[in-house]
Amino acid sequence: MTPFELAEPGTLAQAVSLLDAENARPLSGGTALMLMMKAGVLRPARLVSLRKLGLDGIRVDGELRIGAMTSLRELERSAQVKAGWPVITRALRTLSNVRVRNVATVGGALAHADPHMDLPPLLAALGAQVTIAGPRGERRLAVEALYAGYLENTLARDELITQVTIPSMGKTRAAYLKCTTRSADDWPAVGIAVAIDGDEVRVVLGAATDKPVRLAAAERLLKGRAADPKALDEAAEAAAEEASIEGDSHGSAAYKKQLVRVYLKRTVHEARRAIH
Amino acid sequence: MRREIRFRLNGEAVSAQVAPHETLVEVLRAEFGLHGARESCGQGMCGCCTVVVDARAVSGCLYLASLCENADVRTIEAAHAEDGGLDPVQQAFVDSGALQCGFCTPGFVLMTRQLLDEIPDPDEDDIRHYLSGNLCRCAAYPEIIEAVKLAARRRNASREEKR
Amino acid sequence: MKRAGQSTETPQVGRSVPRLESWLKVTGRAEYVHNLRLPGMLYGKICRSTVAHGRIKRIDVAAAQAVGGVYRVVTGEDIRKLIPEPYYGPAFHDQPVLALEKVRYVGEPVAVVLAADPHVAEEAAHLVVAEYEELPAVYDEVEAVSSKAIVHDALKPAGTFPDLKHLKGKTNTNVALDFRLRRGDPDTAMGKAERVFEHRFRTQQVMHTPLEPLVSVAESTDSSITIHTASQSPSFVRIEIARLLGWPENRVRVRVPFLGGGFGAKLYIKLEALVSVLSLLTRKPVKISLTMEEQFFTITKHASTFRIKSAVTQDGRIVARECEVWWNGGAYADIGPRVTQKSGFTAPGPYDIDNVRIDSYALYTNLPPAGALRGFGIPQLVWAYESHTDMIARELGIDPIEFRRRNLLREGRPQATGTRMKDAALEKVLERVAALMNWNDAFDRGGGTLRRGRGIALGFKACIANTTSLAAVNVNADGSCTVYTSCVDMGQASDTAMAQIAAEVLRIPTEAVTVVHSDTDVTPFDMATLGSRSLFHSGNAVKLAAEDAIGKIDQLRQELHLPADAPIADVFKKKYGMRAGSVMGAGNFIPPYTPPDENGQTDNATPFWMVGATGVEVEVDTETGRVRLTRLVNVADVGAPINPRIVETQLSGAAIMQLGFSLFEKMQFDADGQLRNASFAEYKIPGFHDLPGEIVNEAVVAQQSTGPFGGKGVGETGTFGVSPAIANAIHDAVGVRLTSLPMNPEAVFNAISIKSGRE
Repeated sequence: MTPFELAEPGTLAQAVSLLDAENARPLSGGTALMLMMKAGVLRPARLVSLRKLGLDGIRVDGELRIGAMTSLRELERSAQVKAGWPVITRALRTLSNVRVRNVATVGGALAHADPHMDLPPLLAALGAQVTIAGPRGERRLAVEALYAGYLENTLARDELITQVTIPSMGKTRAAYLKCTTRSADDWPAVGIAVAIDGDEVRVVLGAATDKPVRLAAAERLLKGRAADPKALDEAAEAAAEEASIEGDSHGSAAYKKQLVRVYLKRTVHEARRAIH
Repeated sequence: MRREIRFRLNGEAVSAQVAPHETLVEVLRAEFGLHGARESCGQGMCGCCTVVVDARAVSGCLYLASLCENADVRTIEAAHAEDGGLDPVQQAFVDSGALQCGFCTPGFVLMTRQLLDEIPDPDEDDIRHYLSGNLCRCAAYPEIIEAVKLAARRRNASREEKR
Repeated sequence: MKRAGQSTETPQVGRSVPRLESWLKVTGRAEYVHNLRLPGMLYGKICRSTVAHGRIKRIDVAAAQAVGGVYRVVTGEDIRKLIPEPYYGPAFHDQPVLALEKVRYVGEPVAVVLAADPHVAEEAAHLVVAEYEELPAVYDEVEAVSSKAIVHDALKPAGTFPDLKHLKGKTNTNVALDFRLRRGDPDTAMGKAERVFEHRFRTQQVMHTPLEPLVSVAESTDSSITIHTASQSPSFVRIEIARLLGWPENRVRVRVPFLGGGFGAKLYIKLEALVSVLSLLTRKPVKISLTMEEQFFTITKHASTFRIKSAVTQDGRIVARECEVWWNGGAYADIGPRVTQKSGFTAPGPYDIDNVRIDSYALYTNLPPAGALRGFGIPQLVWAYESHTDMIARELGIDPIEFRRRNLLREGRPQATGTRMKDAALEKVLERVAALMNWNDAFDRGGGTLRRGRGIALGFKACIANTTSLAAVNVNADGSCTVYTSCVDMGQASDTAMAQIAAEVLRIPTEAVTVVHSDTDVTPFDMATLGSRSLFHSGNAVKLAAEDAIGKIDQLRQELHLPADAPIADVFKKKYGMRAGSVMGAGNFIPPYTPPDENGQTDNATPFWMVGATGVEVEVDTETGRVRLTRLVNVADVGAPINPRIVETQLSGAAIMQLGFSLFEKMQFDADGQLRNASFAEYKIPGFHDLPGEIVNEAVVAQQSTGPFGGKGVGETGTFGVSPAIANAIHDAVGVRLTSLPMNPEAVFNAISIKSGRE
């Protein structure tokens, strides 16, 4: 790794100002960042650690509020999350591995903007929002609006995610399924999150596209008809059609479209069967 | 750029001069001569570099040593008793033949200890999930599953006895 | 050793002794070169070629040299000042220590940056600039036969192997060996055949990925050099380094502790020549430790193409077989020509066929070099001939096991080389796999989008010949024993097996034996730890050495008028009047061998045959093409197991490794020969979630009459049948035939789509 300066500010304001520099990067859990730095893809001059900002912790007050520095493992083991948002607990079990989940944080997992990650499509389908701190104060943004492209988020370089807020599941039933095409334990080729709230169905696709995307055409076809096999077939076709998918080492574009068709249906089924 | 950090290593208070870009596994080897954690894939995917920091297993090859300031760091070298006696997990790995070249073994032993601390009586699915981030190219996986089950039985039996 | 000196009547062979180094390994204290750090040591970081084939125009090291902390930057031309002809290799002297004049694949070493801080060396390595005049490149093994892109200007056989001598100085070719075998009259038999079947199969390039990446350290004086290396072939390293330097062998010392996996990756010369030269140039100890990524640019497994054609009678007798195999050896021959010949002659499979034609070609291409990987070419061959065999059986409407039974190469019958089969339990292995698969019982075929199927495959291998192992056994005054062998324990538990063999002869507990790790100044010559040869060869050498020692001890008992069962400690005490002395036994094992004639015929092709069969049950998801193994059965003839538990672990480990090669592992190159997935993030190997639902391993009751206590090698046997058994099971489940590896979900799905399009 190329040498760099490590800053460990104690306040959000300091962190924000330290980030306002050429080639500075925030460091949360660092699991993804270290990979890029070791590969030489990223050579930051300064890393700003967020671990002393007091941004960790899980709170439930109807909504689920997760501090950005909360580790994935803490989220996975939270009884409150399991009771109110069991789809998150289930998805975390197969997210990377225990050591990564011990260290990686919720904020980092959202900000990193690697489309293969599991949480962005899932939290987008659940209607989650992030709270963002920057030099001009705080703003809120829907998770689905957080992504600009492959490894590109919509944050300014001196902005930080401080919290994620997920609305109460209420009667919403949701599922997240992913599919790997090499070993079983791999980055997914396709990840699909589905949330069914009465007649409304939200579908978010990850991994196959360069950023997580809502599948609007599929959602329209499924509206009020999630239990209808014909609607499901149509939605699967529409999903494969509307998503902009390119071939990569996980499979050709045509094959990944097939996986989108199959996994859209399977995820809808799974969501309908889910307890919540 | 180097600065001194202090932490506890295998129960002892220690300090080391580290640069920000140095990883935990590098510092353990270079400064403390501890070779049980070892870098293999360099991407946190094989588990050979497993180290326990503040009771959580981490990939030492992706963990900056600087972040260990004031932490409690434990390695495979502290896993067995003072007299050289093996802990139940290590003994189960020996008895089940759950190792071949041995390069990945310390990582598996540490992860299994973590698993059994969290889930004292894991089923096969729990074992596969918990250890899925550790790779063994010799593929002693069936024997490792057997060893985890054996270690769980022995730990639970000795816990019963103590009651 | 508490039990030293006590004799025992308990059999030591056939016991599942836990491996002797277990304590060291579970406590993280086992010694690997990976851990070695010498005072004043420099770390080397390799700069690698960015083009697949090119003439080196210029290498600019100035910027790298200027980085603070860089000790020196070394290129191929610097090495030429020390060694005028710095080319090495076991079959051809074709590989330069660092690239000279040309580069032949992306990733080839062209320069090394040395620094006391490995981070500095790594940083500076990015600053070395090499310019190339690009040349046309060839990547495919079949295209390489006729391609205008020529990888090596002239062929340079090493002189070690007689069948390569005719290639010396040959120009304008990429063929590094054209092995041929002729038996009977295949043309006439094909012409008269009732049925003829012809198929073509391919395998992909994959990598061993030992978890301890390749690593070597050299330290030198003016007149001697010591190389600490993670090597499976310390004796070869010494000979080859001595040859390169023009030094006597006794000034080159090669030491090998435990290996963190080998699988064939750590054979012959890998980093040893480079660190030796760097140490001599700098007069400092030098270490080069590859990253996982760099391993992919060092040694791989041959991709291959196999055209196989059989003439068969209507009632299912194979009367003739034609085999044409092309091995993609990459840019340097490594041991590829041996794979081409030694595996090549078993290409028709374990069947009794009177008329055989084999042509097996080793090809140079502009890809990373290929060498030995757990099976030495056999898994590529079994993949083809066992898929082909199943296809014929199904086409003829004969049960696949029955078809194999009708054609099986039985004990005493001549194999394609003319060598008569001996101690090869093909029949037993086939029958046991059928029984363990419950082959005659009804089988649940699944339904809906999950279809089930089952398949089997049977493979065999001739152990490499002509090779030698030596060993020494020292019996100490207290009756404990030390074994000296250059056999390398890379995880296969050879230390434990050798100790068991010595203990059995000496009638002492295995735990009273220690095994000294390879050190060419101390341990005697051994060809190499490869190809499942060590249990047989080194095991026989250890047995002979132990017998030699016990013979001397028996003689002492007689001379000293001690009873025949007097404890060893008493013998020494009486002889020397106190606890003193030792007895050294020597063992030198070289099995008989007859080199093949120009038609590949010989009456003694191999010291022993290895036999392995695999049965699998699969579940195929017809919507995604994903294949899941619900059951995996491995059956093998390993002779009489020296350590049954370890034999079982070897069988299952080999099969799981081959499962990765069968279903998903693949080095992916782009059109310019750039490797796209040189890391564990993108090159996936089997983990816990890839394990079959159930694994059954069985060694049939057998004896290798020439083996130590009836034993023989097992390291590779579990790999043989896995790939074709899976392909046969997929066909059984969904009626599609895969002919290329890996059988990843997309390949299976596409085959299903094509079939349903046709229907």
